[in-house]
Amino acid sequence: MSAKGPPLESLTRRLAETPAAFLGEPRIGPKGNIVVPALVRDVLARHGLSVDVSTLERFAPRDVALDRNPRMLTQILCWLLVDESFTGRLDAAQVLKILLDEADLLAVTVAAREFVDNGERREELARLALRTAGMRPLGESLNVAEDRWLSVSTAERVRLNSASRAAEERARQIRESLVRKAAEESADKWSRE
Amino acid sequence: MIDPAPTDAERFPHLSEAGATLLKFMREHPNAPRYRNHSGHRLLEADLAELRAHADEVAQCNVDPRADLNRAWQVDFVQRALRHVPYYRRYGSMPTQLAHLATIDRGTLARDVAAFVPDDLPLDRLINFRTTGLTGQPLLIASHPLVAARYLAFHQRALRRFGIELQSGPGTVGVVLVGWQQRCFTYVSVTPLLGDCGLAKINLHQDDWRDSADRGQYLDALAAEIITGDPLSLGVLLELPFNHRPRALMSTSMSLTDGLRLALEARFQCPVLDLYSLNEVGPVACFDPRLGAHVLLQHRLVVEIVDADGEPLGGGERGEVTLTGGFNFCMPLLRYRTGDHAALEQRDGEWVLVGLSGRAPVRFRRDDGIYLNNIDVTHALKPHTMAQYSLVQRADASFDFSVYGPMLADMAGIETALKDVLGENCVLRTRHVREVCDKVVQYRSDFPG
Repeated sequence: MSAKGPPLESLTRRLAETPAAFLGEPRIGPKGNIVVPALVRDVLARHGLSVDVSTLERFAPRDVALDRNPRMLTQILCWLLVDESFTGRLDAAQVLKILLDEADLLAVTVAAREFVDNGERREELARLALRTAGMRPLGESLNVAEDRWLSVSTAERVRLNSASRAAEERARQIRESLVRKAAEESADKWSRE
Repeated sequence: MIDPAPTDAERFPHLSEAGATLLKFMREHPNAPRYRNHSGHRLLEADLAELRAHADEVAQCNVDPRADLNRAWQVDFVQRALRHVPYYRRYGSMPTQLAHLATIDRGTLARDVAAFVPDDLPLDRLINFRTTGLTGQPLLIASHPLVAARYLAFHQRALRRFGIELQSGPGTVGVVLVGWQQRCFTYVSVTPLLGDCGLAKINLHQDDWRDSADRGQYLDALAAEIITGDPLSLGVLLELPFNHRPRALMSTSMSLTDGLRLALEARFQCPVLDLYSLNEVGPVACFDPRLGAHVLLQHRLVVEIVDADGEPLGGGERGEVTLTGGFNFCMPLLRYRTGDHAALEQRDGEWVLVGLSGRAPVRFRRDDGIYLNNIDVTHALKPHTMAQYSLVQRADASFDFSVYGPMLADMAGIETALKDVLGENCVLRTRHVREVCDKVVQYRSDFPG
């Protein structure tokens, strides 16, 4: 984070104004209109980079249930990374890391659209991209930038951990609650299936 | 650990004097069966107002099952599911079209039903229904007393199509649910929405009765306004000597043949409703002979017909019935593939499922090498009065045809009808199975190719 980057607000505003074309449905089988590997290839090209086809194929979603959300986030990140402030600041490995690995992690529990609609999530994504590119927001010292990053990312991690624990506890309660009921000792229906 | 058995006060909150008298009458009648279980409506006073409002809404609504994320209720339902149901949260953001979301099926629910219960739903009144379905795959359905009670509104909507308004009230029996199984959950209850009228769930299998002759006498004594059951148990009714004429019969669980429907109508001189109902979503549709199709009943249920990849098919094309919405707020369903097949059409201004049949279509090879769909067999057997049947094509191309339950039809006539579609020279073995057989796969082919 040694290099000075753009003002944070310029990136969060960019995210808030993500064009509809980047918020469309990723192509999964016959569904969707955005071919994510092609989009990633274009982003790499904007940075003067390229990777082999098999690497790009890792961005091709296959399972609607599992891949739709992470690849929508990849699309949003693509829009962020073509901001001119990132030009020449990223190598191919860094671009792939943020577009694939980071997107997969973040999309486990947060809907991609939240990174456009929610101020805190926008800040998290902007700081993540800057950090990956070795930059910090304009006007922030190294220490301040580090503190702010820890604050948004730790807060998110704590929230996720706590949500995950709560979800596990809740699922346990539901399973126990359902199992505890005696079989069919239930309420009346006028017909049974 | 199993919860302690609820008390009658918990099963029947605010039980009226007439209701208590009726429960005693149904339990202690000299011809009553051995009731093996207990159950009750578990509805609280506050639930009743909600249920009445729901019944009014169901009575007056227009049913339009098309997926359209411009309609407020569909947007609200999908948004809420994506936000509050753990399984769907991974889907991510609200789509512009429902078809952009993944489909789920019975196996998905069976793996962990807890992931389908919204995380803001209080668990204190959660109940369950268990089902094994035709696949034998056990499934636990998360439900609620309000959900179970909402069935009635859809039954009433279906009955109104046949000109029937329920009249049951205090001191009368509203419904008898008949089963015909080796083991059956049986109990008596009351329905508070209709003045604590009676509800009895009985098993017509002789093992549940002190004397087989009690069955008809008990049905006469209860004089229920409606009798519900499946084609097997309703077929048994045809064999019992009793005089009572219900105002309607309702058949669920399996497809009802035209032959059995006509025989029941002739015997009981009342309409016989064929309901398409699933534990997962409740009553979905009711067969209307005038339209020759199942008319959809629920106004907050999206029906898609999809291909093997979950892609929606065009109007009139046959595919898998896939449902979104419904009234079970304990287990919201997003693009649930039912395993049943039909085409979705509008007939006479109403949305209907045409050619509804359980499970995926099965191809049979005729003796001349031509393949035909199981639907052709269904059509050929329509006029024959059978409660339940199965047709299996063996690996050597021969056929085994079985009729289950009471034998109400002429087997020679059935053989002729089958040979008309399967080929004059096919090898066909037929048999009649009188014993109870709960889960029968109607069509299957082991023939390679």
